[in-house]
Amino acid sequence: MVIIVDRQEHWNSRFAFIMAAIGSAVGLGNVWRFPFVCYKNGGGAFLIPYFVALFTAGIPLMILEFSIGHMLRGPPPECFRKIGKKFEWIGWWTTLIPFVVASYYVVVMAWCFSYMIYSLDLRWGTNAEGFFLNTFLGVTSGPAVIGGFRIPILLSLIAIWISIFIILYKGVSRIGKVVAITVPLPTILLIILTIRGLTLPGALDGVSYYLTPDFSKLLHADVWLAAYAQVFFSLSLAQGILITYASFLKKKSDVTNNAFITSLADAGTSFLAGFTVFSVVGYLALLKGVSIESLGIAGPYLTFITYPTAISLLPFAATIFGMMFYIALLTFGIDSAFSMIEPITMGLHAKWKISKAKSTAIICTLGFLASLIFTTGSGLHWLDIVDHFIANFGLVIVGLIECIAFGYLFKLYRLREHANNVSDIKIGRWWDLLIKFVIPAILIILLSVSLIENITVPYMDYPYWTIIVGGAVPSLAIFILSFVLMRMRRR
Amino acid sequence: MPISAIIMLIFGCTVLYGGLAYFLYRAWKASDR
Repeated sequence: MVIIVDRQEHWNSRFAFIMAAIGSAVGLGNVWRFPFVCYKNGGGAFLIPYFVALFTAGIPLMILEFSIGHMLRGPPPECFRKIGKKFEWIGWWTTLIPFVVASYYVVVMAWCFSYMIYSLDLRWGTNAEGFFLNTFLGVTSGPAVIGGFRIPILLSLIAIWISIFIILYKGVSRIGKVVAITVPLPTILLIILTIRGLTLPGALDGVSYYLTPDFSKLLHADVWLAAYAQVFFSLSLAQGILITYASFLKKKSDVTNNAFITSLADAGTSFLAGFTVFSVVGYLALLKGVSIESLGIAGPYLTFITYPTAISLLPFAATIFGMMFYIALLTFGIDSAFSMIEPITMGLHAKWKISKAKSTAIICTLGFLASLIFTTGSGLHWLDIVDHFIANFGLVIVGLIECIAFGYLFKLYRLREHANNVSDIKIGRWWDLLIKFVIPAILIILLSVSLIENITVPYMDYPYWTIIVGGAVPSLAIFILSFVLMRMRRR
Repeated sequence: MPISAIIMLIFGCTVLYGGLAYFLYRAWKASDR
């Protein structure tokens, strides 16, 4: 018997749903990943494969996930169970992967929280790299040397997990209220930071690096793969989040247009963030008399070393702009973080009729415990390893299974008809072809390339045992746990 | 800034922000369902 989740709960409005979906999609990756990927893969020319990927994979997959949640009305385990009882484990797998991602994503939020406070007195001083790696993180020589807990990170982590619990335990009505602030606010802050950045000397040189097209790169297959990977990882796809969020939509709510708005808002934020990042990087390169390539312009290096260095060198109001930057990151990230927790809490709530408050408390406590390893001196190493494997393998495999399950085991045209019945914009049979053939083919290529790369050379030269512990063990544990959760008797 | 970068800037803004404005307009026209 399929137990349907209590459908009394709905988004307050269409605006609330769109804001929540945008909040989930827009995260730290928009700031610290897209600008770098764009610059590395042909600058402005990268926009061409990026838009192709967005319209041929990102938006169609988002329409698929919104349609699944809206039509089958439940978190992923319930939706997959409706295809067939033996497929429920795929739904659990889909919810467990974002839970693992959240366990380290929240730690990065904790770094942002600490840095927001440090911005008050620009605590990193003149040596942002030394401060971040040694004083703040206390990075050990390798993943084998665990090191002690970093107390400022631990305290920030507790604050973030408590915030997530408070936002989630009351259900989507509270999420709707929170995202009405946490989605527009960082966007406004990013615009202010971009305007400030563009008025600095050297900023236009930085922007030139970002946007000057190198069309010869379009002939390289890896540039196209990078575009598809960027779109896939940026839109919160294959994590069960969009399925869960769409299940709270009212019966007559639009699906297709919401997917276009969410995807374009996410991509638009990434594009804007490129100006924020490269204007400041151009300024820093000019002041230091170094090339832009020599500065860290991606990942934690960008946000916790390069950007703070540039903030310290601002002619005025450095503290205010520092605070703005970290508040923007924190608010961008918090929506993504709680959206990763929502699918599994809803899964528990639906299967065992555990109250929303209790299921949220259980998951937040487990998430906090799982986060602890990342607050130690070896945290940066483990974060890097786990993220690499979960993102490159876990998410891509889930995306692939999702396309196969709904493309071949379910009558895909029913989802298309459902989307067309409730949506302003109608989709044609081309969508079926994309879900059944094009997107699975791209995901298989992405998976194969990652697999070959990781087999031939160990990731970042980490010892093989750490790759097994940080990559294979969590993946296997998620896989086994998915079956255990499926087999457990429902209430 | 080179002219090619400015062209890509206009291209990116048109597709992303123009597209977003168009779909928001369609949503507004269809009203909150």
